[in-house]
Amino acid sequence: MDTDKAEQLKAELQQWFNQAEQLIRQIPPNQLYAAVGIVLLTVFVFILVRVFKRTISNTVVLTGLSGSGKTTLFYQLRDGSSHQGTVTSMEPNESTFVLHSETSKKGKIKPVHIVDVPGHSRLRSKLDEFLPQAAGVVFVVDALEFLPNSRAASEYLYDILTKASVVKKKIPLLILCNKVDKASAHTREFIRKQLEKEIDKLRASRTALSAADITNEFTLGVPGETFAFSLCHNKVTVAEASGLTGDISQLEQFIREHVEP
Amino acid sequence: MLEQLLIFTRGGLILWTCKELGNALRGSPIDTLIRSCLLEERSGAASFNYDAPGTAYTLKWTFHNELGLVFVAVYQRILHLLYVDDLLAMVKREFSDIYDPKKTVYSDFDDIFRQLRKEAEARAEEIRKAKQEDKPVSNNMGNDSGDGDDNAKGRKLEAHSKGSFVANRNAPAKGIANGKENGSSNNGAFDVNKLQKLRAKGGKKTDTIVNKVPKVETKKKITKKNRIWDDSPKESKLDFTDPVSENGDENIQIVAADQGESMMDKEEIISSESESEEDEEAEKGTKAETKKKGWFSSMFQSIAGKANLEKTDLEPALRALKDRLMTKNVAEEIAEKLCESVAASLEGKKLGSFTRISSTVQAAMEEALVRILTPRRSIDILRDVHASKEQRKPYVVVFVGVNGVGKSTNLAKVAYWLQQHDVNVMMAACDTFRSGAVEQLRTHARRLQIPIFEKGYEKDPAIVAKEAIQEATRNGLDVVLVDTAGRMQDNEPLMRALSKLIHVNSPDLVLFVGEALVGNDAVDQLSKFNQKLGELSPSASPRLIDGILLTKFDTIDDKVGAALSMVYISGAPVMFVGCGQSYTDLKKLNVNHAASSELSPDLTSLFVEVNHFNSVNFVSFAHNGILVYQIAERHPVTCKWRK
Repeated sequence: MDTDKAEQLKAELQQWFNQAEQLIRQIPPNQLYAAVGIVLLTVFVFILVRVFKRTISNTVVLTGLSGSGKTTLFYQLRDGSSHQGTVTSMEPNESTFVLHSETSKKGKIKPVHIVDVPGHSRLRSKLDEFLPQAAGVVFVVDALEFLPNSRAASEYLYDILTKASVVKKKIPLLILCNKVDKASAHTREFIRKQLEKEIDKLRASRTALSAADITNEFTLGVPGETFAFSLCHNKVTVAEASGLTGDISQLEQFIREHVEP
Repeated sequence: MLEQLLIFTRGGLILWTCKELGNALRGSPIDTLIRSCLLEERSGAASFNYDAPGTAYTLKWTFHNELGLVFVAVYQRILHLLYVDDLLAMVKREFSDIYDPKKTVYSDFDDIFRQLRKEAEARAEEIRKAKQEDKPVSNNMGNDSGDGDDNAKGRKLEAHSKGSFVANRNAPAKGIANGKENGSSNNGAFDVNKLQKLRAKGGKKTDTIVNKVPKVETKKKITKKNRIWDDSPKESKLDFTDPVSENGDENIQIVAADQGESMMDKEEIISSESESEEDEEAEKGTKAETKKKGWFSSMFQSIAGKANLEKTDLEPALRALKDRLMTKNVAEEIAEKLCESVAASLEGKKLGSFTRISSTVQAAMEEALVRILTPRRSIDILRDVHASKEQRKPYVVVFVGVNGVGKSTNLAKVAYWLQQHDVNVMMAACDTFRSGAVEQLRTHARRLQIPIFEKGYEKDPAIVAKEAIQEATRNGLDVVLVDTAGRMQDNEPLMRALSKLIHVNSPDLVLFVGEALVGNDAVDQLSKFNQKLGELSPSASPRLIDGILLTKFDTIDDKVGAALSMVYISGAPVMFVGCGQSYTDLKKLNVNHAASSELSPDLTSLFVEVNHFNSVNFVSFAHNGILVYQIAERHPVTCKWRK
């Protein structure tokens, strides 16, 4: 019985095939070729778009230690004010918008996708979700309370600078010294030098472990020479800002540089 | 009076604060709450205490998981405000109505809040008056439930489902798992139903105190009371046969459904025990039945994904998860608190399409576990040693722990490891009690060729340690490893001696050595150690446990639960893992694997992962649930594989 049924099915399928062939034969060859051509073209365009999209990204990631002022800066960029204040973030803030200072400009301005990743040490893993798509990274440093946190800040910065995605794609990094409106805030030169010194020490202690132990995927700088940010593969710059007062022009400049307007 | 009430998003932006209560908060209670409670997976607790110089606040909170909002109320601890839970629930409801993700200013909420507060205060007054009238009646009722308090405040606390304030007198109420079982007997006194309906969303059982120093509670009762063996308040009900009836809400309102649910749960538990891999089927089954709408509609919901997660939905999944955690040797208390915390973070959330409740719960739990096990501070010991070297001081590490966990053995392993990294180590034999302890260390020192400082037996360990450190400073040595005698956490004079040793010498690292075999006792050990170190230290800011060394890891297969219990209870990261008796058996903990092995029933795939964990790289293989690590050392015999 089963074999009969199978044969029946086969016969039916054969019939379908024949009918289909006849239909196709009926269509004039030009139309056929045109149809196939269009299909191929759309597929091709689709692939191109996907490839292009990957290379142009408009994401900027704000990161740094907890309490350095990232959420305040995020809201300054978006709305021009930090509203009623912030508390320690438990989740990343992300949104795509046109920078507040540019909303008054005429013409078409491309929105920017900004992600504010929490700085709390327990939430560090969230950074890895956003780094691959980043066009630029801003590392926010608290210029006021810099010295007590300098070790933690430099460790975090070191980890970021040695991540594969950052090194391979040469993602530009901006070290932003926040809270400069306060009188006792350190200067950016001082902060830069301190960070370079600490990272130099870190380089020594991390590479002292055996080859099997190296956690970080890449090493920084040239062994034997003191570390300087200019030796990094990706471009590292230092700037100043103040989240509370809204003085974020250098930050916006960085964003505009690396995200095509 | 309330000090402040804040509403903020999970991303950190403050949406609304009460302008009338204009007092600026001293210190930073909200940030501390977030850092030490909500991010530490203790959000299942009922309240949080914050002490700043000059003030003592208590904070209470509630979440709106769907919109990602947090509502926090702050008030002075000496005031026992009883309407706070109520108020928070009402505020949550009202605010969710007017919430708009684009808006950042909500000035119109001021009036609504004023109204709500008046209502809540009025209701609290009502209840208090009603209680005072029914005092004699209420006492009898209290006795029935077995934990009556003869003051009116105590009664009120029993009725509170979240009953919790850290006030000594009323602490017994905290011992009550939840006031709901009492609620059922309170119908006469006042309108509990109304109260409980209002608190329907926030009802959960709580019996935990968040602060590190649980006070011994004395209950003033008429009836015979439960004897308290240790300093944590006991639960009123000693009969735990019917876990579902603890949900008093269901008890009062839907009696018919209650019967069905409890039987369902029993079956569900059995099925989860017997077939851990196939709990999906059990889960689907329970979901269909508990909803009482039929299999098809629940299937449909799981595909459409519109169901709002309710407590009842999460219950079976969480219970299964808790059982699984306990089979992996996580202490029962910790598993409970973790489940509560995950429940708090998932309640009210919309289920995504094509996801089942169990997978959502599992994902949330895994995230929570990774978050707990991720250390808060750097565990790069070599870096710290170098930093101390620059200051020309030796880096002092003190090994503490109970008897027989492997302090001396692992001290030798750590010394070996440090030696591999060109660090000058010295051992200090401050175990002056146990026979053979000094000889043991002497043998290790001779084998490793490192200096040892010893003064024989029957000497004061604190003095020996001090002299050892002085000697190390004189000779320019980098690290001093101090071995102490094992002691039980309940032994008061020995804990005092330990606290003195730590206070006198102020070491750079206090390492608690715990064995991985320990079960529920880990919680007790660590909490008592921390408590005693805090209490008995004469200084104002006592040193607590900074890190954990987990030993005998090779004796457990994949039951890595002890690591989780210890980290959760103390907040200290796991710095080393000892997995054998030879010098090379020292490793570091892989967070992601530990977290996933807690949750997985059986890993049958062999996979290799290179993991970055705070600057220490290691390759880990997981085969059949057995975790294997590569040793973080430069020794030629580094790679060991366990079958």
